[in-house]
Amino acid sequence: MTSIILLSVFGIINLFLGFLKSNKILLPAVIIFLAIVFGVNFLDWNNPQSHFNNMLTIDNFAVAFSAVMVLSLALILPFSRSYINSGNPHLAEFYSILMFSLVGAIMMVSYENIIMLFLGIEILSIAMYVMAGSHKKELRSNEAALKYLLMGSFATGILLFGFALIYGASGSFNIAEIASFSSNTTATDLLPMMEIGVLLVLVGICFKIGAAPFHFWTPDVYEGTPTLFTTYMSTVVKTAGIAAFYKLVWAVFPGLNEFWYPTLVAITVLTLVIGNIGAAIQTSFKRMMAYSSIAHAGYLLIALTSFNDYSENAVLFYALSYTVATVAAFGVLKLVSDQREGETYEMFNGLGRTNPLLAFAMTVAMCSLASIPLTGGFFAKFFIFGSAIEAGAVWLVVVAILMSAVSIYYYFRVVMAMYMKEPVGEKVAVDGFAAFMLIFLSIFTFIMGIFPGWFNNWL
Amino acid sequence: MEQAIYTPYDYLPIIVQFLAAAGFVAFAMGVTHLIGPKRHSKVKDEAWECGIPTVGNARTPISYKYFMTAILFVIFDIEIIFMYPWAVNFKVLGTEGFLQMITFMGLLMAGFVYVIKKGILKWE
Amino acid sequence: MNEIPEVIRTIPLNYYLFLSTALFVIGVTGVLLRRNAIIIFMCIELMLNAVNLLLVSFSAYRSDPNGQVFVFFIMAVAAAEVCVGLAIIVMIYRNLQSTDVHLLNKLKW
Repeated sequence: MTSIILLSVFGIINLFLGFLKSNKILLPAVIIFLAIVFGVNFLDWNNPQSHFNNMLTIDNFAVAFSAVMVLSLALILPFSRSYINSGNPHLAEFYSILMFSLVGAIMMVSYENIIMLFLGIEILSIAMYVMAGSHKKELRSNEAALKYLLMGSFATGILLFGFALIYGASGSFNIAEIASFSSNTTATDLLPMMEIGVLLVLVGICFKIGAAPFHFWTPDVYEGTPTLFTTYMSTVVKTAGIAAFYKLVWAVFPGLNEFWYPTLVAITVLTLVIGNIGAAIQTSFKRMMAYSSIAHAGYLLIALTSFNDYSENAVLFYALSYTVATVAAFGVLKLVSDQREGETYEMFNGLGRTNPLLAFAMTVAMCSLASIPLTGGFFAKFFIFGSAIEAGAVWLVVVAILMSAVSIYYYFRVVMAMYMKEPVGEKVAVDGFAAFMLIFLSIFTFIMGIFPGWFNNWL
Repeated sequence: MEQAIYTPYDYLPIIVQFLAAAGFVAFAMGVTHLIGPKRHSKVKDEAWECGIPTVGNARTPISYKYFMTAILFVIFDIEIIFMYPWAVNFKVLGTEGFLQMITFMGLLMAGFVYVIKKGILKWE
Repeated sequence: MNEIPEVIRTIPLNYYLFLSTALFVIGVTGVLLRRNAIIIFMCIELMLNAVNLLLVSFSAYRSDPNGQVFVFFIMAVAAAEVCVGLAIIVMIYRNLQSTDVHLLNKLKW
């Protein structure tokens, strides 16, 4: 709760810091703000409480996911050096919008009332529409913004219609009351309305997290959006969406389990297949990462379908390891593409010779995403599959493992390009902060892969 | 509660009204076309613009400044809807509600100050 | 004089449901068929307003104010979305001199 208030206030302060002559102070200020929020966030640990007439509940689930999301924003920002150096006049606004959108993300993981879920989703999405179009002169950025806006608000409409039908059936927006309604629906004739509502909400949320078959906007939007904000979309937005989805299906609709469960399993399998196969046929690295984020949404959805004691922790661990690896991969992409103009695989040719550090960080990130042992990604998938097997969905795990095998092909294409091909350009200039961050991210990935127990038993 | 039963017959007055409205429009337009005098000339067919000769195309781009002002108006206008429920329940909500509304207005004002400092509302 | 919810209740709830579903479907059809970004945007607003109508009628039938509170929030959020959306459409118009969504085809595999 305090973290929401602090983030809003810091966002406003940061807006006004933008009126200062120099923009050098902005990045340190935002990092300090986020550090404060990260610390304050943990004050509510093991101290569950609800605020604003049961609108928000801050429990350990909310605190843990808020921590992951605040951390990922703090990890992303060091790569914004090129904006500072080019003297972008809107830098303060970019940082502030990201902080405001984080407020929405935290609301999405701590809601107790459907109204708060809707507000959280919208705060996050509207901020992302702006960020997608933040390069105003560039047509690709414009196109990404318009596509994201039209698709996103279309999904909002569907989601809202679902909420309205659920409200009509159950008579409340409070998730506990909806849950108690949906768990004894034997005698009511309002059940069809409730079921249509649940289905529409599933469609709307799947749209927002980019799960197939509602994924078609994802590659275009991720490719056109400036890389820094793509990183944010594929980490924070995805984490918040999955956490909200998790809470929604298991706290709100448990009584209608056998109704939506088959739908969700079908969506999961489709997402896994389309994400991985789609990623394998791309020629652009950034577009591959977009499909890869669809695929990872699929792995996270496996944890959603298998609800048991392990799945909460598994989702948290997966979100953390995926965030760390994705930030590193996009960070290297940002540094390289700023200098070498382009986002294809060829751009990485010979990076192992010109920039060993960047190549190493990228390799670690790719290994983690492809879930090679000793990296965080391995245990992330291990925990997810463990919870799925515990729930008895062995065939789902088989599909997922087959698809992970496909993923090794496209993740290692870039590693091959970096170490096996001749260099295509000069050494890429890397500033100290970004280099430090890449080393930190690599070490973090290894720590998660070697001591997974440190991160796995929080919830 | 007892539900009223509606039959299609109950909608007859609405249909009559529609027909009457459409009929009057058709009648008025037809009659003016038939009995009105028609004289075509260059001056007659020109768009009327306060007696002075017409200048340029009507579909010229309108200055961006109007757009910014209009958009800002939409934002601040809509935020006011949160004040209606508060105003209706002013006494019940008491001091706490008042403080919350002050906070809300303070946030809006922060946005307004930001907009002014950014120079969005400067006309020149 | 009747209370306002009672006046609303003289029309069966099903009729409100049919009307708002029809409005919603018109909005969805418009989004899928039209090519002009601004008209697509208007259709999305139509979808949101269909939801508002549905929420208000449920709220009146259940004598529960929560639905109307939600409508306030939807209106405020829709206004924010319109501002961002129109700004994006104006930005695209400045670059392309058109708001036809089919002209935007730079991003493909």
